[in-house]
Amino acid sequence: MERAPRTNTDGRGLLITWSFQFRRFKWRVLAFVVGLLMMVQAGVFLAVDRANVEAARRQINESLEVTANQFQRNLAERNLQLLQAARLLSSDYAFKQAYATRDHGTIVSALENHATRAGAQVMLLLDLDQWVLADTLHSETSGRRFGIPALIDSAEADPHGEATDVGILDDKTYQLVVVPLFTPAPSAWIVIGFRITDTFANSLKKSTRSEVSLVRLERETQWHVFASTLSATHREALVSMLLPEMVFGQSHELVLDDERFVSLATPILPERHRDLAAVLQRPLEKVLAPYQRLRVILLVIALAGLAISLGGGLAVANSVTRPVEKLADGARRIGEGDYAYRVVVDQRDEFGELAGAFNNMVQGLEERDRVRDLLGKVVSHEVADELLRRKIELGGEEREVTVLFSDVRDFTRLCETHSPSEILNYLNTYLTKVSGQIEKHGGIVDKYIGDAVMALFGAPLQHADDPARAVAAAVAMCKTMRLHNIELKQSGLPPMRIGVGINTARVVAGNVGSASRLNYTVVGDGVNVASRLEGLTKTYGVDIIVSESTRALATGFLFRELDRVCVKGKSQPVALFEPLGPAGAIDSETLARVERFEQAIRHFRARAWPQAEEVLLGLLAEAPEEQLYALYLEQTRRFQQEPPPAAWVGSAYPGS
Amino acid sequence: MNRTKRIGRLLVLVAMLLASPIYAASLQITVTNAEGQQVENAVVYATPRDPATKARMQQSTNTMIDQVDKEFIDHVTPVMVGTAVSFPNNDKIRHHVYSFSPAKTFEILLYKDKLPNPVVFDKPGVVVLGCNIHDWMSAYVFVADTPFFAVTRKSGAVVLKGLPAGAYDVEVWHPGLRVGSEKTRQTLTVTADEQRAVTFQIDPRHIWSVRRAPTPMGGGY
Repeated sequence: MERAPRTNTDGRGLLITWSFQFRRFKWRVLAFVVGLLMMVQAGVFLAVDRANVEAARRQINESLEVTANQFQRNLAERNLQLLQAARLLSSDYAFKQAYATRDHGTIVSALENHATRAGAQVMLLLDLDQWVLADTLHSETSGRRFGIPALIDSAEADPHGEATDVGILDDKTYQLVVVPLFTPAPSAWIVIGFRITDTFANSLKKSTRSEVSLVRLERETQWHVFASTLSATHREALVSMLLPEMVFGQSHELVLDDERFVSLATPILPERHRDLAAVLQRPLEKVLAPYQRLRVILLVIALAGLAISLGGGLAVANSVTRPVEKLADGARRIGEGDYAYRVVVDQRDEFGELAGAFNNMVQGLEERDRVRDLLGKVVSHEVADELLRRKIELGGEEREVTVLFSDVRDFTRLCETHSPSEILNYLNTYLTKVSGQIEKHGGIVDKYIGDAVMALFGAPLQHADDPARAVAAAVAMCKTMRLHNIELKQSGLPPMRIGVGINTARVVAGNVGSASRLNYTVVGDGVNVASRLEGLTKTYGVDIIVSESTRALATGFLFRELDRVCVKGKSQPVALFEPLGPAGAIDSETLARVERFEQAIRHFRARAWPQAEEVLLGLLAEAPEEQLYALYLEQTRRFQQEPPPAAWVGSAYPGS
Repeated sequence: MNRTKRIGRLLVLVAMLLASPIYAASLQITVTNAEGQQVENAVVYATPRDPATKARMQQSTNTMIDQVDKEFIDHVTPVMVGTAVSFPNNDKIRHHVYSFSPAKTFEILLYKDKLPNPVVFDKPGVVVLGCNIHDWMSAYVFVADTPFFAVTRKSGAVVLKGLPAGAYDVEVWHPGLRVGSEKTRQTLTVTADEQRAVTFQIDPRHIWSVRRAPTPMGGGY
């Protein structure tokens, strides 16, 4: 379990809340397994414990009831012993003879003799009016009333004149029996008694293993123990707890001196239940002792189970989290681009399978990455992406694309004077620079054809201003080449002049080729036008020629119209334009010159040869290096000699 | 009722008839308890106040108390002072008859077939008889100092006949009235030929009996 501060950085500021949560799956599994086990074991433990205590109580109750029965039986047995002893004396002829003598000493000694035979502790002889004739406790005296008249009263009510009771003689408690002395008519009462002592209680305890206390109610309020197996302190505690009204036949739990006793009261004599009782007790702890042992065993089992489940849970959790951690680590590494990384999981379960699948996936990614790299070298990155993203298939779509062609002028002548490696190096430098500008402006290099570059703006990626981008790229390319020429000059190499043709047209874009070898490109008439425009740059002595469609779309640039020519396959003549630069960045001198040239073209197309010649001469005087002016002047002079046919479109192209 | 006893009775009756004067009074005496039920085994006897009458009437007779099926027959036997009572044994076992009563203490040691010498009851009073062999056997001999006595049976009424005119102490005794306890006494004077009914109400106690063997005594385990 982790007790972690959780930072919460929503708009209300930094809040730190403490909460218990399992941040790791391992701990969750462990908590679940251990928690479940603990719950089950706690349930079992409580149920067993409760059943045990209940069983212990039931056992105690049963044994107390047995003890009560045993107690009653013991009493009855003793009673019978007394009764038989008394009856024997009552019918003893010798005693009758002795009684007939009325000799006190003889009678007392006869009683003592008989008491000894019977094992009784007291014997008395009373006359029918309850006067003591002889008493073994007071052998010397006679002539007083018997102290327990209730005993004789109940005997008088009995058909055989017999009665039994528990009574006190000289502060000692006796179990007493009375029978009449028949001589042969009833003439006296023979009383015989066993003293009830702790010995009696102990003998009962010996056979029943219960604590036995015999109590009597004194002055109708306070119970007094007259025989017991309990210690003195326990006796005191017991009588302090007994209520004057004794409840029989129902067990109670009494605590004597911090010791718990299950207690059951039973009457000693049914007719004396108000003031005489036997309290039978069993210590709860002693009976619970085996259950306590069971409790300890249960606890040990529970702890062992807990430890095992903890270990097992940890092992299971680890077997899950370890490969997951490895996979997470692997995923992180792969995210960082380390495709060579492989996850190692030595498990044959689902995680092993997952790791295998993961590794396969990484291998796939690695291969795809390699393909992408390779593809990027062959085709542009954009095309490569497009190819990888889409399903590679033959066919394509019709879309508006601005096609740019660039070529090095007089490259063939260069090849003749330099070694192949020099040429390749020379060419690669140029292509790299040119390609850089194309890509920088959002175009893609479609292909290199020898020293020529074919680039696309608007396929496969489309921008709103693809024509302007193409024009800007062309302008930048020329500028780059001018700078490059300075470097070439310094290294003693011939300068390089490029021509660029740009045309915007609807073409078909897509993968062209066979199923095994494909090439993403565009095909259509518009592509040929761009190529033709590039070829015309040399004729007009300009770097860049764009078509009418491109000029119309490439807003933000200022153009100079060059000419209009009939292109092969086109019914309408195509207007040629040269970009001068961004609108607003052109100086007024240039602008004025462009205007004058346009005027010259208007004269030229209107067959006003002298006027055209005049303007062109003026322009040539200012810019003699402009091949364009020279071309127009040459054609003007030629058409003055031999005027063009009626179908002439106004082109200055030689041979048209 | 066996033959010997019937003969004995007859002899007593003949003797009484011979002794009685021609003109004599008779008392019909009824003994009841508190509930009005007639009491059995009550001895009623009339003692003349005049010693002369008593002396004139003095006579001694013989009677007997039988022992049948380990019981004395009868349970209460009134006799006049000086009567000799014989104790025949009609059982097949021996008996040992005894008495510790002050009126007559005696014992007849174990005997069976041979009729022992009769016992003469020469003092008035109650003599309780027992058998040393059989604890439950008990009987009473009421020794009266007068010839006018009778014992109630189930009917509870007896007639004392042949009383010469004069004053009498009429008394009742019952085993349930303790030995030596106060007697229930009526003094009355009868004239010749008078027939008078006398009623006694007594409250005899229950007499605790000894169990007869073999008894279903408890504790036979």
